[in-house]
Amino acid sequence: MTNIDYADATHAKGEPIIVLDSVDKFFGDFQALKDINIRVGRQEVVVVIGPSGSGKSTLIRCINRLEKHDRGTIVVDGVELSDDIKNIQEVRRETGMVFQSFNLFPHLTVLDNITLAPRQVRRTPKAEAEASAMDLLKRVKIPEQAHKYPGQLSGGQQQRVAIARALAMQPKVMLFDEPTSALDPEMIKEVLDAMEVLAESGMTMIVVTHEMGFARAVADRVVFMADGQIVEVGPPEHFFTDPQEDRTKLFLSQIL
Amino acid sequence: MTLDTRPDELLGPAEEESPFEEQLTPSEWVRAHLFSGPFDTAVTFVFVAVFALAGYWLVRYLTQSDFTILRVNLTNLMVGRFPREQIWRPAVALMLAGGAIGLAGGLIRANARDRAEESGLDYESSGPLSVLRRFWPVAAFILLVLLLAGTPTPWLVVGATLASGVLFMFAGRAIPGSARRWAWPAVAGLLIGSYLIMIGGGVGYDAWGGLYLNIFLTVAGIALAFPLGLLLALGRRSSLPALKISSITYIEFIRGVPLITLLLLGAFALGFFLPDALQPSRTTRILIAIAMFEAAYIAEVVRGGFAAVPKGQVEAAQAVGLSPWKQTRLIVLPQALRATIPAMVGQFISLFKDTTLVVVVALTDILGMSQNANAQPEFFGQGLHRVTLPFVALAFWVGSYTMSREARRLERRLGVGER
Repeated sequence: MTNIDYADATHAKGEPIIVLDSVDKFFGDFQALKDINIRVGRQEVVVVIGPSGSGKSTLIRCINRLEKHDRGTIVVDGVELSDDIKNIQEVRRETGMVFQSFNLFPHLTVLDNITLAPRQVRRTPKAEAEASAMDLLKRVKIPEQAHKYPGQLSGGQQQRVAIARALAMQPKVMLFDEPTSALDPEMIKEVLDAMEVLAESGMTMIVVTHEMGFARAVADRVVFMADGQIVEVGPPEHFFTDPQEDRTKLFLSQIL
Repeated sequence: MTLDTRPDELLGPAEEESPFEEQLTPSEWVRAHLFSGPFDTAVTFVFVAVFALAGYWLVRYLTQSDFTILRVNLTNLMVGRFPREQIWRPAVALMLAGGAIGLAGGLIRANARDRAEESGLDYESSGPLSVLRRFWPVAAFILLVLLLAGTPTPWLVVGATLASGVLFMFAGRAIPGSARRWAWPAVAGLLIGSYLIMIGGGVGYDAWGGLYLNIFLTVAGIALAFPLGLLLALGRRSSLPALKISSITYIEFIRGVPLITLLLLGAFALGFFLPDALQPSRTTRILIAIAMFEAAYIAEVVRGGFAAVPKGQVEAAQAVGLSPWKQTRLIVLPQALRATIPAMVGQFISLFKDTTLVVVVALTDILGMSQNANAQPEFFGQGLHRVTLPFVALAFWVGSYTMSREARRLERRLGVGER
């Protein structure tokens, strides 16, 4: 099962920016991640799929330390995650995250949601932070919503604001945790389009999703997880047409 | 999908009128709501009878009672035994406090207007009529007092306070957005000025009494207890064991002791624990006791607010790289405090009413004064409590009801429970 060569040519895009080495994670007695080994190259887009409860979300939440891994090492852009809060903060500054339930700050306007971190963490002057926030809002195609509150926006708009908020810190890596799962069907496309534009711009991305169309079109590699383990990794053209593992075949037959 | 919930919040209450009810004529409405069946009809008649009886009692009470005791003691009820030759002090203090309230109102309004404009919403300007609608109980009570007084001086004082309030309100509105934050110290300055006037001239705290004392203890109690309660709530969440344990000990100890015990401790035992050089006046000691008591309750209210903030908010704050302190200060605390408005105001209302307990430590607040009035030779033994106590009750009801209405308004505007 795990005799896959992670250093194979499927991530030839550059040197690795994220390296997970023998990572285990437990919730009480339940092992959520079992011996996870994966490298993600710069500018690579990795899509993680798998049944619910397979550890996909836990995997990416470990990368920015929203969850603490119990064994193994995680290195992000040369910084190893440890209990040292300075290391954690450094990794979080370089890592943007988009959540399933948006998690915008409801008491702040869209503009303030986006400028908060640059101003508070990077000490960017207000005018400069707002100008780049407006640029980001234009990139996700909702500059006219800048002064509204999250509660006034549709789900799709909120998720695009969340993407802009994550990008405002100019991260080197973007993590997406089922970004379209809480959206009405007609709003999924606008969010996926924004993500695709981002991928084309060369952003390193790890995307947990159930959107197989997105995986096919945008992913450099698809990772299939089940029961806390990585079962199969491959470029989408092989992964979807010629899966190697029985577990993968079963999963694909259920969803396609 | 909740689209555009803000405008309603900014504009105030959304009148939820069903189109069907609007079309009913008055007689149809009466039939549909009051006499739609034998049971409804019976209920209607019983309640009409009860209301009629209550109305009769009220009219009889108002026409047959002699309100001289209130008229004679009005100053006592308002400011207690404040030296009469220094009576200009409460008047000026009131004007300054009115100015502070006006300025704060003007600033808040100007901020709301700017925010509404920025987000492209209409801002319905609220005229004097809507202010009167909001504060009619206060206005009615003041009018009642003025009519009872029957002398021109109180009218002058109230007029001057209103004028000062309106003047400062327009000043607050006129201040441009960028300078507004610098105007807030002026609000505090006016309040401090009002306080200094009251303690100036060698009068000191212990001369304070009447309704003024109740209001002072409430406002100052909240002002002192709120920051302390916030710190205690944060301390209770802290990962430092010493801080956590001392916070929990404090909160649980104070919450387990009746306020009246703390007041007696403050009045008769606090001096024992303090050095001779630092012997605060009785009113100060009572204020300390009240603030310590309230802080424990406020801490628990705030703790409830923390629990109401979704976990995803902290995760989002962590993910963008905010430090733990900034996660709390910028993300958790503002949302937690919004969620606590109803409970917090309930706490403040009960504090306002609890200030009457100071009678046990020989401070004469409005309730104590009303008792004293009944002991005066010309009123003694005439059962005039039935005149004084309803007046005291009315004063507290006006204050409490206004606080509760304003809190509901604030809740609506901040959109509590609407995300």
